[in-house]
Amino acid sequence: MAGASRNGNGGLGTRALLWTLPVLLLTLYVVPFAGVISWSVTQPEVGFGQYWRILSGGDMTNVFLRTLRIAVVSTAITILVGFCLSYYWVMGSRLRQTILEVCIFIPFWISVLVRAFGWLIILRDNGLANGFLMATRLISEPLGTGRNEFAVIVGMVHFMVPFSVFPMATVMRKIDRRILLAAHGLGADPATVFRKIFLPLSMPGVFAAFVMVLVFSVGFFVTPAILGGGRVVMVAEAVFVQMFQTTNWGLGAAMSVVLLVLIGAIVGLAYRLLGLRSFVG
Amino acid sequence: MENHFKQDCLILLKDRLTQGSIDRRTFLTGLVALGALSAINGGPAKAAGGDLVVTNWGGDAVPAFKSAFTDGFGASSGLNVKIDGSGSTKGAMKAQFDSGTVRWDVCDADPGSTKSLGDAGMIEKVDYAIVDKGKVEEGFAYEYSIANYFFSYVIAYDASKFAGDPPKSWADFWDVKKYPGKRTMYKWMAGSLEAALMADGVPMDKLYPLDMDRAFAKLEELKPHIVSYWDSGAESQQLLRDGEVSMGLVWHTRANLVETDTNGAVSWTYAQGIMAPSGWTVIKGNPAGKDAAMKFIAYCQDPARQVVLLETLGSGPANPAAHALVPAKSKRLDCSSPENRALQVAMDMDWYAANSNKALERYLAMVAG
Repeated sequence: MAGASRNGNGGLGTRALLWTLPVLLLTLYVVPFAGVISWSVTQPEVGFGQYWRILSGGDMTNVFLRTLRIAVVSTAITILVGFCLSYYWVMGSRLRQTILEVCIFIPFWISVLVRAFGWLIILRDNGLANGFLMATRLISEPLGTGRNEFAVIVGMVHFMVPFSVFPMATVMRKIDRRILLAAHGLGADPATVFRKIFLPLSMPGVFAAFVMVLVFSVGFFVTPAILGGGRVVMVAEAVFVQMFQTTNWGLGAAMSVVLLVLIGAIVGLAYRLLGLRSFVG
Repeated sequence: MENHFKQDCLILLKDRLTQGSIDRRTFLTGLVALGALSAINGGPAKAAGGDLVVTNWGGDAVPAFKSAFTDGFGASSGLNVKIDGSGSTKGAMKAQFDSGTVRWDVCDADPGSTKSLGDAGMIEKVDYAIVDKGKVEEGFAYEYSIANYFFSYVIAYDASKFAGDPPKSWADFWDVKKYPGKRTMYKWMAGSLEAALMADGVPMDKLYPLDMDRAFAKLEELKPHIVSYWDSGAESQQLLRDGEVSMGLVWHTRANLVETDTNGAVSWTYAQGIMAPSGWTVIKGNPAGKDAAMKFIAYCQDPARQVVLLETLGSGPANPAAHALVPAKSKRLDCSSPENRALQVAMDMDWYAANSNKALERYLAMVAG
């Protein structure tokens, strides 16, 4: 009896646990977001006017194009840097691995605000980088590296590199070293081993990192606000302006929906084209 | 827009407390003077029987203020005042009204925003039977709000470079040949269109309604010389102090701080400054009832209380009777005093109520473009 009742309770408990997540998602995310979608087509009047404004090539289209441009560029740089770091980390000696771990984890733990201000001190016109280059007479005028899109991309890349390293390093670590040795033994030079064996085998990690970093980067708020000199307005900030300052909730809602659809499309495309399924599990 | 100013005042006040330049009692009085207090209970305050919820822009919890506030206002009114520091932005006030459960009794808000919300039927009219129209600068007793203090958008400049012939107008601000160096302006537009039009030769008394096309053409002209459109008051101060810019359009409170910090290496002027009001407002259906809210607003009109506000937050008194009580050392900060006001233009909040959304979007597109 006791056993049966325990089993029964266990069954009920398992079922309850199974349903918790979907129910939470539904009540805390899907239902409120349905409200956001309805605002986007009802405020201030019924119709698709807000979406038209986003897509029609005006200021809001520019915000989206700017966001995508910055996101794609910073993602590409992040993946490149992250790949090299991961390779170095996974393939290196014990000492090299430890040093790299420190270099990856310490910035990872520092707040995004502090990092953005740190870059500002380095990059601005009278900052450390320009000061050093001018003192050594390599340049005569400041390079204009602070408070613009360049500075924003530097700050974003620095923030996202650790996030790209983890999935790539995980996949690289799983690569069977004996395959690399076998290729070498069969006469392939190191460049060929890397290009024909290592790179293809690490691609699942690269794609996973790519999707994650790209999704991350379209939603940046603080870094562009601090490093962009007020000029680099990305979608997240533009939504904030519409919600709290101009109270044009319809437009803010429509921008959120477009951003979500964009991210969904990116993930969906990666999922289909690149067989994301094979490395999600 | 000017909600940013209020948050900034609180940051400054807290800085001064931690630096020891004011004591805790003065700090608390400063918060009390405005109702500019942080949420102390860890969450938004809710009005219950006998409570009055004042909404402001606090961010840092200050556990000790509650008794000070109750001592200050509660004793005379019999109301238990609670503070919600979550910020009465235009969007947040609209959300309160739309939800049907208004939790705030009195909000410190931008008079332009409250007018547009008021025209949409969301705001109580100020009851001038309770609130005294005579205790506020003329022209700042609005239908849906009443000025509670003032602050100014002014020219701050590098006095170590320009002390011989300091800038005296927005035309000078735009003149990068005579006054070389980078500039900074406000990211959230307020005051910038007025500055541009004055630089383009529009007389101070003929600014409103603002000619947007003309203002934006002039703003484009200065754009290559702007190193940053500042977002927070701290950023504007840093840009001036570190010499990243030689001139800036900044709040007079921050200008004054940089001047002190740099021992006068950076200075500022009220010449052609743009004086803006902040206002008390009451959302329709407020929990403590309209009358209680109006009584709180009337209470805050007391001139001595407003001088404390100037001493702690640096914002100019709304009640003209307060200027006589301002000590000599604070006269320069008193942006609404007759001497200082004579140099400035008053911001027309009705224009902002009707046009600020369109103007802000256009401004941000210009800044980013």
